Amino acid sequence: MISFTEETRQKAFSTQRKPETVESQGLPHVRFHVEEAHLIPAGERPKKFLEAFAAILKHTNYRFMLDQYSRVSAKCARCSANCQIYETTHAPEDVPCFRSEMLLSIYRRHFTVGGAVKGRLTGDVGLTEEKIDELADSVYNCTACRRCTLECPMGIDHGLITHLARWILAEIGIAPRALVVSTREQLVGATGNTSAIPLPALQDTIEFLEEEIADYKGVEIKVPMDVEGAEYMFIAPVSDWMMEAETLMGCICALHAGGVSWTVGTQYYDAINYGLFYSDHHLEQVLHKVEAEVKRLGVKKILIGECGHASRSAKFFYNVFAEQLNIPVINILEVTHDLLKQGKLKFDTEIIKEKVTYHDPCNIARPGWVIEQPREIIKAFIKNYEEMTPSGRDNLCCGGGGGTVSIDELRPYRTLITGRRKAEQIEKTGAEIVIAPCANCKKQVRELLEDNEVPVELVGLHDLIYKAIILSDDGIAWHDPMGDDDWTPPDA
Amino acid sequence: MEAWIEFGKGPLFRLAFVIMLLGLIRALFLVLVGMVEAYHRAGDRVLPWADLHKKTLMWMFPVKRIFNRRPVYSIVSFIWHIGLILVPIFYSAHVLLLMNQSLGVTWWPVLAQDVAHILTWITVAGGVLLFLMRYIPAMSRRLSKFMDGFWVVLITAVFVTGAICAQTAVSAYGYQVSMLIHIYGANLILVLLPFSKTAHSVLFPLGQYAGAIGWKFPKGAGAKVRTTIGKEVNHV
Repeated sequence: MISFTEETRQKAFSTQRKPETVESQGLPHVRFHVEEAHLIPAGERPKKFLEAFAAILKHTNYRFMLDQYSRVSAKCARCSANCQIYETTHAPEDVPCFRSEMLLSIYRRHFTVGGAVKGRLTGDVGLTEEKIDELADSVYNCTACRRCTLECPMGIDHGLITHLARWILAEIGIAPRALVVSTREQLVGATGNTSAIPLPALQDTIEFLEEEIADYKGVEIKVPMDVEGAEYMFIAPVSDWMMEAETLMGCICALHAGGVSWTVGTQYYDAINYGLFYSDHHLEQVLHKVEAEVKRLGVKKILIGECGHASRSAKFFYNVFAEQLNIPVINILEVTHDLLKQGKLKFDTEIIKEKVTYHDPCNIARPGWVIEQPREIIKAFIKNYEEMTPSGRDNLCCGGGGGTVSIDELRPYRTLITGRRKAEQIEKTGAEIVIAPCANCKKQVRELLEDNEVPVELVGLHDLIYKAIILSDDGIAWHDPMGDDDWTPPDA
Repeated sequence: MEAWIEFGKGPLFRLAFVIMLLGLIRALFLVLVGMVEAYHRAGDRVLPWADLHKKTLMWMFPVKRIFNRRPVYSIVSFIWHIGLILVPIFYSAHVLLLMNQSLGVTWWPVLAQDVAHILTWITVAGGVLLFLMRYIPAMSRRLSKFMDGFWVVLITAVFVTGAICAQTAVSAYGYQVSMLIHIYGANLILVLLPFSKTAHSVLFPLGQYAGAIGWKFPKGAGAKVRTTIGKEVNHV
């Protein structure tokens, strides 16, 4: 683990944006690249921000929440002790209730009678460009992991306030380019997914995975495509098809072993939903695409691959926005766990010899949804398991939550500040392998371990399942494709 | 001075009490109505009710979590609240005052004198500690606004003067000055109660539910927002 010094801090908070470009184009002073902020000239942003804020208050459910929070926020700072960012920086600006107060004070000043009167009496000019810049930087410093909420006696959900602030900012063009460009491709692009993977490329990948499984697992498995009326529509973060082959092969093998009725849709195959991170409008639009595919295939349930935010956005919001309601949304870990409990999965318990630990993705653990299931799966075939502390609902964020993992220009900040405690936590377990069953957590933890010089391997849970699961009649988990008798399986 | 005290205990107290009562009812009503509206507008009304009830009760009696984070501050704050709630409402002199205001109250439980005195001094000590813990650490100081400190000072002053008034050894002049500060300070607390963070005295039990319902979004809101601000609905 590298030590945290003033130099580290400066590196973490450095920006790749050129000051002269920011000034000449009148862009907001934030550390991430923005896509459309130039459309609103500097000077007009406060007015536009307040217009967007007013419209959101008019058409959504946020007003009562702001009324409640602005009346009860005591700023006792208990949340600071639960924020891994504050624990690293010790900067008052990183205390969750300080961040929330930025938006609450705008609400009080511009949308309550008392605030307006007080503003007039005290000569408070109200919202300024500088305050918008501060807010924008602050809400993207936060990973929206919502751990702070666990320790707020008043029940203030700082993650919800950050979520709202990001949406208002997005409506005036202040949203990270990385998120906007991906979502644009997903919603109106030719490929219809965030990684711009065309259907033929997906089909090629699936063929490749089928061949790999046949070679190493000794069974022929055909990935079901466009099977109408299947029980589950399996939808993974699309980047997994290109970058996390073993995770997907593990999912395919588990579903096959369990005899599950499932299918992959060819008209829409991306579980990622960055709308959760910056726009309720886009959150809804993406889920409409999922819904269209659900209807086309007539499936009964939605099965999300190893991905925290994709699971949460579908689980908690699909039935908010869809016309065809009451479609259950299941995470792959739940299905695999069910199959294990039903005795449908067999494992070679000698394959994974390394010491393993497990990282709880915030989006599935914080609500208390997926916590015990992965642990029971792990203990079914991994002997040397070490729990992190804290874990489960109280877990530490990987440091890349809230979409920040996709903002590459924030990498030093993510790995040296927001993820630092996670790196320390992983190192402390003494594990050789850390499991992170989430596409975003995987990217973040890999970078985190690399930048902090922690020599631990990062995998998904189904990567290990793929290695240990026994599918063939000979009872062997791992076959040599060349048929060499002396062959031994590679280390996990 | 006596006339000012009588005015403070009489008409001014009644006015302050009514302002507090109506203000708190208004605050509670607005949030409750907002919550109910939000719940009915939500596209999905599934809520983890049992979990929310449990969390609400847990924070009302935070014996389990209080030691988790900022334990000293949390424990002092919790103990401070005990006297803060019990003494104003159940101290015999306060109950007598309430009954003399023609508010229709004929019976009210009363704290034993000794208990009330002990709680009073615990609250005073708690107030001093809370003030120090808010203003000595740089982080807390940066978070605090004028009213955060003002509240602690005001409440502590009202408790100190109340304790002085309860002493038999105090001089007549000392008693009158203390009572004047006590009564006008208390009236100020009542008037300000609904209009600042102290509204949590009635809104506190709604906190967990507000967060959970806050995440329940209404269908189609994003498109309406876009239309209202003049942006193309499908622009990404």
